[in-house]
Amino acid sequence: MEELEDLKQIWRSHEQGYEPKKESEIAVMLQGRSNSIIGKLKRNVWFELIFTIACSVALLVYALTLEAGAIMWTIISLIVLFTAYLFYYVKKLLLLGKFDASGGNIKSSLENLYQKLTVYVNFYRKSYTVLYPVYFFLGLFFGALETGLDGFISRMQEPKTVITLVVLMGLFFILGFVATHFYLKKLYGNHLTKIKELLNELQG
Amino acid sequence: MTEDQEKSFVKLVNENQGLIHKVCILYETDKEARNDLFQEIVLQLWKSFPTFRGEAKITTWMYRIALNTAISGLRKLGRKIKTEELEEFHFNISDNTEDHFEENFQRLQWAIRQLSEIERAMIMMALDEVPYDEIAENIGITQNNVRVRMNRIREKIRTLIR
Repeated sequence: MEELEDLKQIWRSHEQGYEPKKESEIAVMLQGRSNSIIGKLKRNVWFELIFTIACSVALLVYALTLEAGAIMWTIISLIVLFTAYLFYYVKKLLLLGKFDASGGNIKSSLENLYQKLTVYVNFYRKSYTVLYPVYFFLGLFFGALETGLDGFISRMQEPKTVITLVVLMGLFFILGFVATHFYLKKLYGNHLTKIKELLNELQG
Repeated sequence: MTEDQEKSFVKLVNENQGLIHKVCILYETDKEARNDLFQEIVLQLWKSFPTFRGEAKITTWMYRIALNTAISGLRKLGRKIKTEELEEFHFNISDNTEDHFEENFQRLQWAIRQLSEIERAMIMMALDEVPYDEIAENIGITQNNVRVRMNRIREKIRTLIR
């Protein structure tokens, strides 16, 4: 049983050991959608992109009905932020479009996958590192609108306010960075580790 | 793609579906996951069908895509069957000699699933009489490397089945 020829014999003895699919079933499969993680990621990004566009349009329509004031400027700043998100989603779709796990041999596919997935994760991380300060300063901006510019400037001259803001900013960035790192590690970390292990096995 | 292309593709998959089923059996443990993998492989084959020009053997092309989908297609990796499952096989198989072949196949299948994803791909192709140069080409390593690794794999299977 141990030698390859014996193993082949056992393997062949079970040639029909599966439930064959009919041609009609196979044809139906062609209409299905990919269940690979790349397929799911693409669908998620498309959903987020469409949702962001829909929200931007709705906010814009609402903003046009308002008179100039704090709420209108708040909404316009949100639309500007959503516009930045559109570029972010398009870039994500472009990165996902570069995945092709079936083109080459197993080693080159794994290398390609590892490299592309690393670029994708790094882009994700960098984007959020840039967005946290944007969120923070938007928060400040809304605060300024709420209290009035004069009140805001006078409060910003108080040492207590400045210290509180610096501490809050530090906490906001650190917690945001840790949360993103944890989220990305949970989503892709194990997968990257596994691909790396497979590549090490192939190189070993 | 045209209707004719679709028909010829479906016919091609139908004639060679054994290969896809074997990949599914070795890389997934439950029926639902195997069906999902089967569909994913068919979709990936369909996606690559326009680039298949018949220069390579159809089975080589199918192996490459099916194994790439199973190994690197970003599915849940690293699943292995627990050791207890081999004992379960023994409970499920009677002493009847007609079941002897089935038992041997189940033991072999179990042993292969204890191997790494790459080793599984290599032994599967070897058992299906794929020549070493094609195995080397599909995996992306040298023929010498295939020989060395195949010896190790046989040794592992020998230990596992004993």
